Amino acid sequence: MSLRSSVAITAGRTSYWFLHNFLHGGTALPGKITLAIDPDVLQDLAKNYETVIITGTNGKTLTTALTVKALKAKYPQVLTNPSGSNMKQGIVTAFLTSQKTKSGKNLAVLETDEANVELVTKYVRPKVFVLTNIFRDQMDRYGEIYTTYAKILAGIKLEPTATIIANGDAPIFNSVALPNRLIYYGIDAQEDKEQQALPNTDGLLCPKCQHILHYKKISYANLGKYYCPNCDFKRPELDFSVSKIVQQTPQSSEFIVDDTTINLHIGGTYNIYNALAAYSIARFFAIGSSLIATALNDNDEKIFGRQEVINVDNKEITLILVKNPVGLDQVLEMIKTDPEPFSLAVLLNANYADGIDTSWIWDGRFENLPFNNIPNVLAGGERYRDISFRLKVAGVSDKQFLERESLTEVLEALKKMPSNRIYVLATYTAVLQLRKLLASQGYIKEGME
Amino acid sequence: MNLKLNVAHLYGDLLNTYGDIGNILVLEYYAKQMNVELTSEIVSLDQQFEESKFDLAFFGGGQDYEQVIVSKDIQNKKEALTFFIENDGPMLAICGGYQLLGEYYISAKGEKIAGINALPHYTKSQDNNRFIGDIIIKNSETGQEYHGFENHNGMTFLGNGERPLGTVISGHGNNGEDKSEGAIYKNVFCSYFHGPILARNGELAKRLLLLALKRKYPTSDFTQQEQLEIKPTY
Repeated sequence: MSLRSSVAITAGRTSYWFLHNFLHGGTALPGKITLAIDPDVLQDLAKNYETVIITGTNGKTLTTALTVKALKAKYPQVLTNPSGSNMKQGIVTAFLTSQKTKSGKNLAVLETDEANVELVTKYVRPKVFVLTNIFRDQMDRYGEIYTTYAKILAGIKLEPTATIIANGDAPIFNSVALPNRLIYYGIDAQEDKEQQALPNTDGLLCPKCQHILHYKKISYANLGKYYCPNCDFKRPELDFSVSKIVQQTPQSSEFIVDDTTINLHIGGTYNIYNALAAYSIARFFAIGSSLIATALNDNDEKIFGRQEVINVDNKEITLILVKNPVGLDQVLEMIKTDPEPFSLAVLLNANYADGIDTSWIWDGRFENLPFNNIPNVLAGGERYRDISFRLKVAGVSDKQFLERESLTEVLEALKKMPSNRIYVLATYTAVLQLRKLLASQGYIKEGME
Repeated sequence: MNLKLNVAHLYGDLLNTYGDIGNILVLEYYAKQMNVELTSEIVSLDQQFEESKFDLAFFGGGQDYEQVIVSKDIQNKKEALTFFIENDGPMLAICGGYQLLGEYYISAKGEKIAGINALPHYTKSQDNNRFIGDIIIKNSETGQEYHGFENHNGMTFLGNGERPLGTVISGHGNNGEDKSEGAIYKNVFCSYFHGPILARNGELAKRLLLLALKRKYPTSDFTQQEQLEIKPTY
């Protein structure tokens, strides 16, 4: 290790120790300090690790957490970067603060932003790339799905001997021939039926002949058992597949992979994909399916915290971050399965971190919600007018509808809602503002983690 | 009498990037308030545009890749679309749809992509820049203000016989130079607004629906529909 690297690493570790012990924070700053002293420090830090990079639009954080959980069933030391810290500084911090094992494998599982894959790959030499999905995400920043995939590929092309573990139901991951070994996972739970995706779905062109793809099964959006009616392009053979989805509620999913039943303590078909990715990675690292299932079945609050349940004066408020059309639509599909009566609030902001364009709310099919059984529907946040009209067009009646701009008023209205269960869907800055408010009233502790 | 309107959603499975489906949902919403049953059908690759089947057409915007595929396919629909437009068929075209109705557009990569030349505008590209942000325009004929969000690399210049949808009050508009935004030609309304455009501009939705109703049912009285009050939504 060069002197420069060791100075950089020492400086970073010291700042982490300080921040962590005195300020209870510090996920990006130590990495930033280290990088300022030695920009190539990751190369030294990541040596002797077998690294898994997890990237894609949706599901990176939970897939990473579940993967770490599953890998720990066999390998006690697994390094990872904390939730959301997926830019370069956060990754440097993760390596700085981990303990290496003297014997056995050192594994690193890194949630990596799509635009950062190339940069991180240069330093950490990953053994596995995991590709969850690519959907439209805050178009004012990264642009089209093909551009996003090109960014990921720029990283993968640096490491032709790495294995790719990809969502086989996503046509885009079968669109470019690569020398890498490929492992595909997917969902095969329905009977085959000839069908096409819904009209507002992205990424439906056959990459070989540019005809519209058809499907035999669709999980959601453009994910499924696709085929081109005009050429031989079709979903690849799956190495790991969900053969049956036994039961889904907003709080749980029971499904079968390779004859192994998994009981996941979180709802949503998108989370079945996340768990399936974790399962596939663990199998790649030679862990048996029953060990993996036991790890995934564990109701670990730290992992499932993204979907946060907060008790406010005996009302059970589930706070869910929504940030892009496919994510929103999947959340709506999930809450629809709740057998208990519930109310709904949608809080829309349009700051830079939320995406400044609110047009994506029209791609969530609010129309499919059972509004007859939802006593109250509230529109709130800085852009409450946009979401109000969206909800009215979806069929919300005036008598069940509430409109509140300020979050203080939103919270007061939530407290008075007739149902005990309330789902609050909020964009990023609205989640932060609401959590701050809830903390100031003593319902939760301050901070995201 | 049962009033019915059928909407052609041109390439709805390919050009749908900015909540374009919202325009169809909003048309349904106001149509219902006018006691009109509104249906919509996707007309996409390798399909004919059977103009006699449709009372209204909507043409959205998409990603560069999809738009290039559409620009090739739409040449086979050029005649039928031009016939529909010249015979006062009402249409709403946004972003890519707007560009493809014109002579051509230059993509962000610098390629010249042919339109169908049904309308006389053309579109150039900007170097490494997009017009992004909230926009307000005013239509001089109706005095109505339209509110929206624009996000486009293209700079569109109108031709003879076209007038702008509005004059820019704040924002960039067609090209950032001449203060025009969008285009009107016969009963075709074009714009760079998404958000989607009809969600914040119910008056425009009403205008399109009335044009379609009067064209389809020339002898009927639409006083009741004309009186529909549009509440502000922005």
